[in-house]
Amino acid sequence: MKQKGFTLLTLLLFLFIGEVKIVQAQSESMRKSNDETTLTRKELRKQIPKFIAIGFGTNNAQFRDFATSPLIYSGRVLHISLSRFKLSNKREAELGLSYDFGSLSNNYNSTFSSSDFKRVELYYSKLYKLKLFEAIGVNTKLGFLLVGNGNIRINNALQNNAFGIETFANLLGSIKFTKDISRKIAKEKKFLFIKYKLKEKSRDLAFRINLGLINSSYRNGYAYIGQSAILNEPKFFDDYEYNIFEGLRFSSRLDYTRNLSNKNAVQLSYIWDAYATRGDSDKFEIAHHIIKLTLLFNTNNL
Amino acid sequence: MYSITKYLMLFMVTISTVTCEKALFEEEFASTDPFVNFNYLWEECDKKYAYFSVKNIDWDAVKEEYSAKLFKGMTQDSLFNVLGGMLSELRDDHTNLLSDFNISSFGVKYLGQDNFDWRIIVDNYITQDFYRTGPFSHNFLDNGEIGYVRFPAFTGGINGENFDFVLNRYKDTKGLIIDLRENGGGAVTDVFSLLSRFISSETLVYFSRIKNGPGHEDFSEPFPVTVAAPSDKIYKNKVAVLTDRGTYSAGSFTSLATKAIPNMVLIGDTTGGGLGLPNGGQLPNGWEYRFSITQALTLDKSPDFENGVPPDIRVLIDWSDLTKDEILERAISELQ
Repeated sequence: MKQKGFTLLTLLLFLFIGEVKIVQAQSESMRKSNDETTLTRKELRKQIPKFIAIGFGTNNAQFRDFATSPLIYSGRVLHISLSRFKLSNKREAELGLSYDFGSLSNNYNSTFSSSDFKRVELYYSKLYKLKLFEAIGVNTKLGFLLVGNGNIRINNALQNNAFGIETFANLLGSIKFTKDISRKIAKEKKFLFIKYKLKEKSRDLAFRINLGLINSSYRNGYAYIGQSAILNEPKFFDDYEYNIFEGLRFSSRLDYTRNLSNKNAVQLSYIWDAYATRGDSDKFEIAHHIIKLTLLFNTNNL
Repeated sequence: MYSITKYLMLFMVTISTVTCEKALFEEEFASTDPFVNFNYLWEECDKKYAYFSVKNIDWDAVKEEYSAKLFKGMTQDSLFNVLGGMLSELRDDHTNLLSDFNISSFGVKYLGQDNFDWRIIVDNYITQDFYRTGPFSHNFLDNGEIGYVRFPAFTGGINGENFDFVLNRYKDTKGLIIDLRENGGGAVTDVFSLLSRFISSETLVYFSRIKNGPGHEDFSEPFPVTVAAPSDKIYKNKVAVLTDRGTYSAGSFTSLATKAIPNMVLIGDTTGGGLGLPNGGQLPNGWEYRFSITQALTLDKSPDFENGVPPDIRVLIDWSDLTKDEILERAISELQ
């Protein structure tokens, strides 16, 4: 209860601190300030907005590990993330960490089995502006996303194979399209007999696609369970194998960002991420559909 | 223009997630079809089961025999009996099929006669005043010259405190009896905790190898398994380990290891085997299965003890006299 209260309070403070009035988007001001030729490179770099992003949401996930079961385990787990990123008109970079946790299950033929699921992901991304679609007001950036993540799964129905752990490291090529959809002029509207005013709003809509270029996995060996326990040398990654260039990963992301007057922002995102191993006899497949709300704290304010 | 762009983006997201995920993942495998489930289980065993050659099992012939029993529309119960029957051909109690209405097993302990009755031991040897320390039940035998320790299951409960107490109590005896009869196994960590108190230096006790390919003889190199002796608190006199057909899995690992330890002697009946580490998995219809995927090898690298670790001294109980445990009697005379 206390935690819920704290979260709500943080959100309210974040949204309403400072003036409620919407001012010109900070991204716009950034563009202008970049044009100031009198500033040194260091000063310009300092002015690039930097954010701490705290996100939370739900992840509709599903996975299938053919090494232990041909059945798909699915369900909704919680998702939290923390990242730091720099964002300018010309480039952006993000370093972040996310954690998903909950339970995924399969219920087929009157047989219910459940798998505790935890995923930790570390990612780094860098994007650079392309001179593409500028005519229609779309900012296009090209770059990469480096992702490393590990899954921990515990499914007692699988007996000695109950504990599943796998790690993946991927380098993905990325392209991102951002459209400024701000309402720059206030509008008077009327609904039936009610008159209301739509104020100026600074907001962006962005869509990003990532395609796996180098995909690697560190997974169980042929027999799945290792024999270290009966060798009297128990170890964690028992009989694991590293595979590179044997997998596929795609992800996409749609962000709606509302820039606030205090230069902070709120972002609503839908993230789709899917990957599958290839080349080994027991494939692994997993997909995530994440909807999350992210609070972006502009650290230039500090 | 802004609206068009927005909707175009939403459209791209929808299309990319749906189509890419379909392309990336394999088709749905969940099925209650008897033929699909039979073939899945047969192939999993064919690729990963460890003891076809040791047990001289013609797995193709087993497929032919049991697939003939399948028919469209058969009940779940009938399918379970066919699949469970097929697994029982592996003659391995580490091999089971589990559904919400039944569990299949081979029942290796029924291959020999029953050789253990706790009541005979309490009534005629250790009395009801025996100690219970952790997983052990124990007391003195034969005028305090021999210690008897009953260890009924490898629960992972052996620790420094409880085993120290037991060994300290019998430190001045001529010999110790560890009774593993009808011990069906459990946590393999207990095997090494137990054995480490009966050796004075690091000892190679067996080898183990794991399946690493689909061929019936595709295994890793044999890995040596050693037990490190603790710095002190070891029992130095002779130890008799009692076994029967119900001594299985971790019980058989312990029995196998006694062959490499000079002051330990195995008395009773051949163990049930179970020297392969079992895996676990699910069929397309959700039922669960397991079977052995490793082989434990003797010091001369033979996997044959999977069929049971033979005792050094074979003795069976004579059930015509319920006041006497012949296996225990033989152990007492061996330790005198």
